[in-house]
Amino acid sequence: MVELRFHGLGGQGAVTLSYLLAKAGDRMGRYVQAFPFFGAERRGAPVKSYLRMDERPIYLRSQIYRPDFVVVMNLGLTEAAISEGTKEDTVLIFNATAEEEARLTHLDFPAYRVDATSIALELGMEVEGMPLVNVPFLGAVAHVTGLVNMEAIAEVLRETYPPDRAELSLEAARRGFTSVVKFQEAKEKGQKAASGR
Amino acid sequence: MRLVETGNHAAAHAVRLARVEVVSAYPITPQTQVVEEISRFIDEEGYDCEYIPVESEHSAMAAMIAAAAAGVRAFSATSSHGLAYMYELLHWAAGIRLPMVMANVNRALGPGWNIWCDHQDAMSARDTGWIQLYCSTHQEILDTVIQAYRISEDPSVFLPVMVCYDAFTMSHTYMQVDIPEQETVDRFLPPFRTSWRLDPRFPLTHGSVIYPQDYEETRYSIYQAHRAAREVIRRTAEEYRDIVGNYHGDLVETYFMEDAEHAVVAVGTLALEARVAAEELRGAGYPCGVVRIRSYRPFPFEELRELLGGMRTVVVLDRAVSFGLGGILASEVKAVLGGEGPRPVSLIAGLGGRDVPYTLIAERTEAAIRGELSGEEWPTLALNERHLVSLRGLKALWGGERA
Repeated sequence: MVELRFHGLGGQGAVTLSYLLAKAGDRMGRYVQAFPFFGAERRGAPVKSYLRMDERPIYLRSQIYRPDFVVVMNLGLTEAAISEGTKEDTVLIFNATAEEEARLTHLDFPAYRVDATSIALELGMEVEGMPLVNVPFLGAVAHVTGLVNMEAIAEVLRETYPPDRAELSLEAARRGFTSVVKFQEAKEKGQKAASGR
Repeated sequence: MRLVETGNHAAAHAVRLARVEVVSAYPITPQTQVVEEISRFIDEEGYDCEYIPVESEHSAMAAMIAAAAAGVRAFSATSSHGLAYMYELLHWAAGIRLPMVMANVNRALGPGWNIWCDHQDAMSARDTGWIQLYCSTHQEILDTVIQAYRISEDPSVFLPVMVCYDAFTMSHTYMQVDIPEQETVDRFLPPFRTSWRLDPRFPLTHGSVIYPQDYEETRYSIYQAHRAAREVIRRTAEEYRDIVGNYHGDLVETYFMEDAEHAVVAVGTLALEARVAAEELRGAGYPCGVVRIRSYRPFPFEELRELLGGMRTVVVLDRAVSFGLGGILASEVKAVLGGEGPRPVSLIAGLGGRDVPYTLIAERTEAAIRGELSGEEWPTLALNERHLVSLRGLKALWGGERA
């Protein structure tokens, strides 16, 4: 089983992101489960959502404390996202620019970044001033996790949205897929101990 | 057709497939998506159904009663305070033996205001005469709502059925669900036929004043109908499996009980979480199984006695509490065992949506197996300074000893 946790701000689309990835996972023949943590569905407030995928039926219904992947859609949520629970080899995926990398290199996890905000803004994808960063993340998560491919994402977007929006979203997802980069490898065990983790 | 859907939308599909003719409901979190989706089916997809947007849950149930008394298949959905507000009419629907189905998305009762999962709402309505079935998967929600009409409308039962499922962990979680074809469901569920109905051409009253020489007999008939329902629930689950193809157990569903020496008893999604815990415990060398109670009323006392009587350890998970007694399910399991077999260990956990991970269930069950835990425990309770301050405040107000 692969477990993912998403941290975003209300309006960034963390919940929709986990749902669309679940639908894509379904098309890949996997068992899927996507759910938000309900309670703070206000624009701008921290939002969590979760995603499980497995080759076997999924019986777990509890929240995810040891995710394989953590998606951080706003850098202000980094500490909160990590304090929710990780494994030693949890992979982090950030919404960050190359310049912002420096703010994240103290973290002891393998890490990727995608500039989802810029991709959304370049394509004019925003709602009430909030860039829809979840759509580039569809592609970025697909690339990093290998759980779903772009064909499945294209099918899901075309099934879910009207043609104009589906194609625009697909372009954003493609840009996320191609531009996501790894900026940090897993650190050696010794290094981790030295840094006090 | 396979969809990735919420548990709430799975319930709405079942209502459409059951060809329900009247839906009356008042919105309440976490149920609202059920009736929203039904109203979308009516508006956009040509589903032929009368949707009555009432001003309260009390009226929702009143409209259900009227519809069912007129011989029409009726549905509603509610949660928590909505169910509490219906309480008087829950008795009314069961008391005059009206077939109908209602989804109750199990949610905690306030105060403090809490929208998350808890079984106190439905278990507080335990003795109204309604049949209560608890689901644990999205597929089971869809299949059970359809089955519930067959059970409810069976002439030997003629009782309302409440289909319960957990807030958020089921209601708002997206998972796969297979939507059967209409013609398949039609083969399983014939149109509603009643032996009497309200009709202005032939006026009659039903459920008015009744004197002591007859009242007790009506209550006895409900008691008997619940006894009859046990066999009807079993038969309905089997026929559904034969015609539609899915099976989720009858009054209970068991996991790994074939060679089990230790058993966890639970309802709803806690039973699935316990299933994962049981697998963990098996990996550690403890032959552990799970009994999921699917039919809470009628209670599966024969099944539980047979399954649990020979166990070395029985752990009962409760997501509700009878104040002044203890875990509701635990007390009932103890009553069923009647002092024979192991003395059940009661775990009260996950109230108001607090997460109950399988790791905790495995750990506390292992403690019970090793004899380190007996009686009762609230394993997810975490009293801190904030929780204790009000108690100290009360003591100060009343002067130390008197509090």
